Amino acid sequence: MKRRKMDLAEAPVTFAKGVDDRFQAATPLRALLNKVFPDHWSFLLGEIALFSFIVLLLSGTFLTLFFDPSMKEIAYEGSYLGLRGTEMSAAYASSLHLSFEVRGGLFMRQMHHWAALLFMASIIVHMARVFFTGAYRKPREINWVIGVLLFLLGFFAGFTGYSLPDDGLSGTGLRIASAIMLTLPVIGTWLSAAIFGGEFPGELIIGRFYIAHVLIIPGILLGLIAAHLGIVFKQKHTQWPGPMRTNDNVVGERMFPRYAMKQGGFFMAVFGVIALMAGLFQINPIWLFGPYRASEVSSASQPDFYVMFMDGLVRLMPNWQIYIPIGNGYSIPPMFWPAVVGLGALFTLPMAWPWLEARKTKDKRTHHLLERPRDNPERVGIGMMALTFFLIATISGGNDVIADKFHISLNAMTWGGRIGLVLLPPLAYYIAVRICLGLQQHDRQVLAHGVETGIIKRLPNGQFVEVHQPLGPVDEHGHPVPLEYAGWVVPKKMNRLGALAPAVKGFFYPVEKPAETPVSPAVGGPVKKEEIKSGR
Amino acid sequence: MTTVHHAGDAGTPPVDVNDPHLSRFDIVKEGLRRDDIEIVTYESQFHGQNSKAEKRVVRNIALLFAISGILTLAFVVFYIVWPWEFELGHTMSDYYTPILGISLGLGLLALGFGILAWAKKLLPHELSIQQRHSHPSPDDERLITGQTALFVADELGVQRRPLLKGAIALGLAPVGLAVAAPLVGGLIEDPHKGDLPMMYTTGFNPGNNGGELVRLTREDGSPIRPEDVSTGGQMTVYPGIPGGATNHWADSPTLLIHLRADDAEVTRANADADSNGRNVGSMWGNFVAYSKICTHAGCPASLYEQQTNRLLCPCHQSQFLITDNAQPVFGPATRRLPMLPLTVDEEGFFVAASDFKDTVGPDFWERP
Amino acid sequence: MIAALALAGGVYTAFTPGAFAEDNVQLSAAAQEGKALFDNSCISCHGRDGQGVEDRGPSLIGVGSASVEFQVSTGRMPMTRQEAQAEQKKPQFDEDQTKQIAQYIQELGGGPEIPEGPLVDNLETNPESLARGGELFRINCTSCHGFGGGGGALSSGKFAPSLHDATAEQIYAAMLTGPQNMPVFGDNQLTPDEKRSIITYITQQLQQDKDPGGLFNLGRYGPSTEGVAIFLVGIVLLVFTSLWIAGKS
Repeated sequence: MKRRKMDLAEAPVTFAKGVDDRFQAATPLRALLNKVFPDHWSFLLGEIALFSFIVLLLSGTFLTLFFDPSMKEIAYEGSYLGLRGTEMSAAYASSLHLSFEVRGGLFMRQMHHWAALLFMASIIVHMARVFFTGAYRKPREINWVIGVLLFLLGFFAGFTGYSLPDDGLSGTGLRIASAIMLTLPVIGTWLSAAIFGGEFPGELIIGRFYIAHVLIIPGILLGLIAAHLGIVFKQKHTQWPGPMRTNDNVVGERMFPRYAMKQGGFFMAVFGVIALMAGLFQINPIWLFGPYRASEVSSASQPDFYVMFMDGLVRLMPNWQIYIPIGNGYSIPPMFWPAVVGLGALFTLPMAWPWLEARKTKDKRTHHLLERPRDNPERVGIGMMALTFFLIATISGGNDVIADKFHISLNAMTWGGRIGLVLLPPLAYYIAVRICLGLQQHDRQVLAHGVETGIIKRLPNGQFVEVHQPLGPVDEHGHPVPLEYAGWVVPKKMNRLGALAPAVKGFFYPVEKPAETPVSPAVGGPVKKEEIKSGR
Repeated sequence: MTTVHHAGDAGTPPVDVNDPHLSRFDIVKEGLRRDDIEIVTYESQFHGQNSKAEKRVVRNIALLFAISGILTLAFVVFYIVWPWEFELGHTMSDYYTPILGISLGLGLLALGFGILAWAKKLLPHELSIQQRHSHPSPDDERLITGQTALFVADELGVQRRPLLKGAIALGLAPVGLAVAAPLVGGLIEDPHKGDLPMMYTTGFNPGNNGGELVRLTREDGSPIRPEDVSTGGQMTVYPGIPGGATNHWADSPTLLIHLRADDAEVTRANADADSNGRNVGSMWGNFVAYSKICTHAGCPASLYEQQTNRLLCPCHQSQFLITDNAQPVFGPATRRLPMLPLTVDEEGFFVAASDFKDTVGPDFWERP
Repeated sequence: MIAALALAGGVYTAFTPGAFAEDNVQLSAAAQEGKALFDNSCISCHGRDGQGVEDRGPSLIGVGSASVEFQVSTGRMPMTRQEAQAEQKKPQFDEDQTKQIAQYIQELGGGPEIPEGPLVDNLETNPESLARGGELFRINCTSCHGFGGGGGALSSGKFAPSLHDATAEQIYAAMLTGPQNMPVFGDNQLTPDEKRSIITYITQQLQQDKDPGGLFNLGRYGPSTEGVAIFLVGIVLLVFTSLWIAGKS
């Protein structure tokens, strides 16, 4: 008896030894358990995308069990009375079947769709974080490019998925996709005929999109996501400047147990939010759209939000056609510019951005410390310009809904979008740069003169002055010794100083106490200088 | 780049991990030292063991886990017992998806926040610093690897053996082509083949009807008499050939419009004055028929405004003026909607006098 | 202004009673009542005996009772001012008064009428009507009113109204008469049976059926509101979660 008990207790040890004998896992495993990650809320945005991708894989696999990617025409005989007897493709019929006759099928479909929207939305938010903090700088340019590619692939994954049910709305989207292919000079008609297997819509496209949607695109996505995470792992995460933080270290907590547990909990939260949304909000009610018929359309026909910017650009494009009077004459339709050239530029320019910026600023150094947005007004301005452009284009993609619901003339919406697309991005640039410079200046002012105390003193000569509390030591005249900016939060109020600093509670604060940054003499070393360059 | 000095630098001596006096944490610290990690702070969030605060946190976490268990169990129960089969109207089954979402969603959120609270509130706070070691490889390493790669290339001897160079170019390139050929070749379809090339003809081409003129029909295939469309009315019509209303003839849906007399007069005058003559005589009485397929992106441009005589496309808001040969008057479309020449056969049904004379559908490169 | 015009019209009729005395004889009792209401509220724009006034209001001869019932019962008429589109308002006349005016216009010049009998099919006895109605709805109606019947924008500030509050009579009358920019769907194009099917689909499926996909249907506006929801609900919830996760406890 006793002997046996001993063996059981020894079992994990024996097992671990066996594993290490074969894989020499002990050292790398310890390094993994010990790996340090910096902790800041904005570093969790990418995880939302990762976790919704996992939900997408799980729910998508469920959907494939019931979906039939065939365009064969059949008469619907399911339980949805409003379509019974209607001729439709098998793809549409099976989408209805899995919505109405598979227990919980509609819930899974809605989860899949909401997860897809969350995937794309969080990519955008994550990308904005990476951009505005300069996290894409050397050595992370490649990971930035992979990120842009992930958005592009998500775009196509989303579009192919949106097309699969073969309903009235998605068929209209396919029609436009075919028209976009047709606009390509020289090869347009050939490309469309190749993809649709002849004239639009043909009978092959759903099957082709299906294999792209469930195998090819997710396969590439998986590979790129693995590479994305692998590179983050290898290069170690960036961190904000602050006490003890240098370009050569990572300050945070070890991966196990706390960090990994937080990740696990966050995954459950993401999963929960998706499930909650799938239950609360109806999404893409395909049963109202009917089967796709080339002659039927609905007002307010739109793609999903992450394609809307392209649709918006197509709507705003003036009717400028290029005629080439050679032979029978050739033409480049206006849609070519926003949908092909525009889309291409909107993906290639961001990809090239890290190198463009490095070239302009002649910055070839390696950066592991982030820059506060205010410290690089130029970049923030350009980012805001791009975001404004994207936002106006996206809003214009739904301009008919806005026109209808807010009683604005549709034509006025289109003109507003056209003018806005030209005028607002430069305006956003200007405003963003001014705000950044203002914030920078305020930081410098506090560092040089101290915090405004709110105490007004009258001098003997009658002059009124406000008393400032110096942040650091003072010289022999009692004037504060100007402190150098360390790239991190500067306390601006008296109740953020020293012992009066708030017991940092929850929410908007990182683990490390930011308030101490500029005060701590240890930080004023030569190392920090590198991060101090002001934007201008 | 200099490094910031901090305690526990490389100077700390290694520890003999087999020393029986070492605590487990000491061994952990030795591991951290080897991984170049320094723990700056590592402290419990509570004063003393089993403090009141700690017990409260533990109770809360347990409660969250219990809620999660109850809700996810409820999810399973609802999944099984809630009426779920779709019925028209306002029934309990309409709440099947919401109840699943709410129970599972809140259950998972409770679980997630339980785990998060555990990590955040129970586990000790720590602040660790790890060195990055992100420096490039030493120069000698780079040199060795580079030389090794060159050595490998030399061994292959392609430089020295020009014949092989040519053999690679000529002999192996076709292998790549062979991989690509079936993929590309299998997909290629000639968009301009046949007597009735798809880009230029529609179902209204008499060639699809044994040379007979094609009737205009409703979606159910029934032919249309002029009196079937009221003044100020419009009807979506399809070619009267087998399957004419299906997506096989996706470029054929047409809008037949019965104009008021005064509008019809203007429309006819404009059609007869058509600069390229294609629309001359295409109206029949006060009826005019335009292709429903938008010349911009191919959506059905079918929002017919009876009083302003405009056709609006709901996809990109191109607007076409019906009384002026359906010329675009707003939006991104550049080309007018093609007009279908109308007439009436001996039985009094509408027929297309010929196929569309303009090219139907979205614009493309080689459209004449 | 309108009151003044109405007054002027009233005074005008009062001075020339003899000329129309003969017409009045033929009017039924209901139409007599309708004429009184008409002469009070409509005559300033539509003129004496609905002949129309140049640049102000069209002639009502031949528009039929269906047209009146639609325009008056939805509050579009009387109109407060000329604009891109007559807006739906709180109706100014009750059901009986509307019927009386309609009767008057009908007796003046004839025209389309809403038929007697039920306008909605009974789905117990005629279940196919729903799908048939849906099919016709998608061919003829969705391009302007949308798949969900929520309405949609037309050119330059005009729009197709939402069908969510439309009654069966109003939908029938609208199809029959083509109010404003809506095309006319005469009985030869959509038979009364087909019109009933469409009305059945709109009332039973779009108005009364609860959306099965969630507590909120996001207005059935499609991807635009879905896109707003994912940011306002999904992203906001999760960003707050991450703020909490990384915040100091």
